[in-house]
Amino acid sequence: MTPGAPDLDQTLAALADPHRRRAVEVLRRGPKRAGDLAEALALSAPAMSRHLRTLRRSGLVEEAGDPFDARVRIYRLRAEPMADLKIWLEETERMWSDQLLAFRQHLERSREA
Amino acid sequence: MSSKIIVALRVPASPARAFEAFTQEIGLWWRPSPIFPFTPRSPGVMAFEPGRGGRLTETLAGGKVFEIGRIRVWAPGERLVFGWRQATFTPDQDTEVEIRFEAVGEETRVTVEHRGWDSVPAEHVARHDFPDAIFLRRHGEWWQVLVASLRDVV
Repeated sequence: MTPGAPDLDQTLAALADPHRRRAVEVLRRGPKRAGDLAEALALSAPAMSRHLRTLRRSGLVEEAGDPFDARVRIYRLRAEPMADLKIWLEETERMWSDQLLAFRQHLERSREA
Repeated sequence: MSSKIIVALRVPASPARAFEAFTQEIGLWWRPSPIFPFTPRSPGVMAFEPGRGGRLTETLAGGKVFEIGRIRVWAPGERLVFGWRQATFTPDQDTEVEIRFEAVGEETRVTVEHRGWDSVPAEHVARHDFPDAIFLRRHGEWWQVLVASLRDVV
């Protein structure tokens, strides 16, 4: 198991929920206030706040202050977990390529036998 | 970036024989991945229980059986679909693997589609809000960590 794996599991778990996936989609276009996100997703403030907490814990999203209004919290995407996911998917692809090569070798051997 | 992985390869066998070997002889040809063990005690021996509702399992050295997933489609010579979970996945997390067998002349094209990760274009997101120089430097650091962790397992 690689040291990065538990974080990646959290990333995948956070993305398992359609509302949270949608929130990530919206945040791709730029940072947003929690209220604007809730509106975009048609969610109540408490529901949005729960999803944002999960996204923050997974490291997908981070919170920052609004430079113009200290009372307002701004949410934006963090880059690292997504890059981990990309690397993970690339490694999974390599794993299946290896498996198919092993499978072909097995068939070649059994045909000769 | 796509949320699914597709890999294909042509093998020297009929679709029926390829399906049989893929399922009934998996214990002989499967190469355990050091990067993605199913459980902390892996690797063990892989096996399919034939038929829809059967399981893909890994039997560990101590005799314990880990269920990787249930078989959702069992169409000999054509198509195989099964669930795919590693022990570290959370309960609501599940991915799915589809194997397709298509005749190409005397041979068979075997296509693996592993899906269900997410629907987020990660490459785009990874670059979000970061000037290129910072992005490249950070990406370099992740690779360093990855390479270091690979060194530990290989």
